[in-house]
Amino acid sequence: MIVIYSIKILWLLLKTQIRSQTQYRLSFLADVFTTAIFSSIYFLAFALILQRFETVAGWTLGEIAFLVGMTETSFAFMDLLFSGFDPDSFSPMVRMGSLDQFMVRPVSLTIQVLGSRLILRRLGRVLEGLAVLAFGIVTTQPDWTWLKTFYLPVVLVCQVICMGSIFMMGSTITFWTVERIEAVNILTYGGNELMSYPMNIYPRWLLFIFTYFVPFIFVNFYPTLYFLDKPDPLNFPVFAPFLTPLVAIGMALAAYWFWGYGLRHYQSTGT
Amino acid sequence: METIVQVRHLTKDFRVLHRNAGKWGAWNDFFHPQYRTIRAVDGISFDIQPGELIGYIGPNGAGKSTTIKMLTGLLVPTGGEILVKGMIPWKDRRKYVANIGVVFGQRRTLWWDLPVIDSLEVLKAIYRIPDSLFNHNLGMFRKILDLDSFLESPVRSLSLGQRMRAELCAAFLHNPALLFLDEPTIGLDVVAKERIREFIRHLHREGTTILLTTHDLTDVERLCERVMVLDWGKILYDGNLQELTSRFEGVNEMRVSFAENGEDGLLEGLEPPVREGRYYVYRIDPRKVSIPDLVSSLYRTHPVVDLEIRKPKLEDTIRKIYENKSLNTPD
Repeated sequence: MIVIYSIKILWLLLKTQIRSQTQYRLSFLADVFTTAIFSSIYFLAFALILQRFETVAGWTLGEIAFLVGMTETSFAFMDLLFSGFDPDSFSPMVRMGSLDQFMVRPVSLTIQVLGSRLILRRLGRVLEGLAVLAFGIVTTQPDWTWLKTFYLPVVLVCQVICMGSIFMMGSTITFWTVERIEAVNILTYGGNELMSYPMNIYPRWLLFIFTYFVPFIFVNFYPTLYFLDKPDPLNFPVFAPFLTPLVAIGMALAAYWFWGYGLRHYQSTGT
Repeated sequence: METIVQVRHLTKDFRVLHRNAGKWGAWNDFFHPQYRTIRAVDGISFDIQPGELIGYIGPNGAGKSTTIKMLTGLLVPTGGEILVKGMIPWKDRRKYVANIGVVFGQRRTLWWDLPVIDSLEVLKAIYRIPDSLFNHNLGMFRKILDLDSFLESPVRSLSLGQRMRAELCAAFLHNPALLFLDEPTIGLDVVAKERIREFIRHLHREGTTILLTTHDLTDVERLCERVMVLDWGKILYDGNLQELTSRFEGVNEMRVSFAENGEDGLLEGLEPPVREGRYYVYRIDPRKVSIPDLVSSLYRTHPVVDLEIRKPKLEDTIRKIYENKSLNTPD
C-alpha cells in the first residue's frame, strides 16, 4: 500500500519535472542532442587513437566499445534518475532548507529527493551510451545465448543501482560537511571511467580496492568477459560474472542504511 | 477538550565547532576540533488548547525557530518531551506531519516552475485529500486569499505577497488541526499583511489551533489573545496579551496643551512634565493614578485645549521584558 502510494507520488513529482522541462520543445530537443554529441566526442577521440594500436591488453575496439557502452548507458541513466541525489544539487538543498520542507510532508524523503530533480537533457548521454553499446555488439558479434540475453538488462539495472548508491552516499556526507565533497566524484565519475577499461590493465593495489572494497570489477568487467566469451586474465572463479546482482544489492543496502543514518544525524543536529 | 500540544522541560543543545583563526586554523579544526555547546532552548514547558491562536515572539536567536523545528518533527530534542495530538513529532514523522500544516515565511514549498494550481494538485495527491474537500477548501481560499488572478501562473513569476498567499493555501488544503506559521508576513507590504491576517483570523474562527511566530508585533496585537515571549531559550512570559501590557509597562503618556501660555505645567501628584512644542508630556502610572479622575479634574481646573492619552506600545513593552529578564511568568 505504502509502496504503491510512494511510486505514485514519485511518478507525479517526476511528471511535474518533465512538464516544466519540455515546455519549450525545440530547446529541449536541442539540449538532448547537444548532450549526446558532446558525450560522443570523448569516445570518438578514444576510438581514433585505439585504431593505431588495434588492441589494448588483448581487447579490440569493438570489445572496448561494449565495455564503454554498458557503463555509459547505465551511468547516464543513473545520472538522470538520481539527479536529486547529485551532490551538486543535494548540497544546496541541505543548505537552503529545502530538506526541512520535505520533512514536513508525509512522504518518504528518498522519494521526495528523487522526485525533486530530473535533468532530462542527460537523456542525450543515455542515447550516446546505447549507440556505443550497439556499435560494440555489432562489431564483436557475441554468441547470444538465452541466458546472456536475459542477463544483459539485469547487469544494466544493477549498474544503475550501484552507481546510484554511490551518489546517495556522496550526498549523505553533505549532512556533515554541508558543502559537497569533491572526493566523492572519484567514486562516481571516476568509477564510471574506471569501468570503461579492461580492469586487468590497472596496478594490483587499485584492483584490490575495486575488488574487495568497492567491488566495481564485478559490475562491468566480469559481466562483459562473460558476454564476449573472453578468457579471465585474473583467474577468478567461474561465477565471478554473476556476482553483479549481489554487489548491487549490497551497495544499495549500504547506501540506504547510510542515508537513513545521515537523516537521523540531520534530525538531531540541524544545520 | 483535550490539550493539543504538551511541552515539558524541552531542551535543545547544539554543538558548534569553535573555529581556530590563523594560518593553521583550518588544519587544527580538522584534527583537533573543539566544540562549544550552545543551549538554544532551555527547559521550556507549555500547553496549547485546541482552537488557541498564540503569538510566539522573541528576538533573533531566542530559540523560536528551534522550538518550531522540534514541534514539527524536524529536530530531535536534547531533553524534555513533546506530545502533539498524542504523537511524538520526530517519531513516526510521516504519520505526524499529515496532521499539521507548516509555513516557513522564508522558504518555499511550491514548485518553482509550476503553475500554482499544479503544485496544489501535487499536494492533493501527497496528502490524499478527497476531491470534495479539495474543491471546498480551494474554493474558499480562492475567495479569502484572492488567488484567482495568479492560480495559473508559475510560482517563479509571483510577487512575494502572492507567493505567501499561495503558500498559506498550500499549507491548509488538507485541513490540519494544528498550523505552524513562521514569519508569514515577513517582507510584505501593509495591504498584503492585512490579507494574510484576515486569512489567519478566518482559520482561527473555524477552530484551527495556530502557533504564530513573528517579528511583527502588529500581527500579534491584531490576532492573538495569548502570547509567549521567549529569550535566551527561556519563556519570559506566557499569558494574556492585555495583562502583559499592564504588568510590564505601567507608564502611560498624557499629552496636554493649555490655552494660556507661560504655565509651568506642574500638576499635583504628578512628576514635572517634559515640554514638546505646545504640549506638556506627563508620565502616568495607571496603577497609582486613576486616569479618568485625573482627566476630569484637569478639565475643571485648567483651560485645556487638547488632551491625549497614549498607551504604551507592545513593542516597548516587549523590549522592557527583554531588558529585564528576571521577570517571570505569572503563576
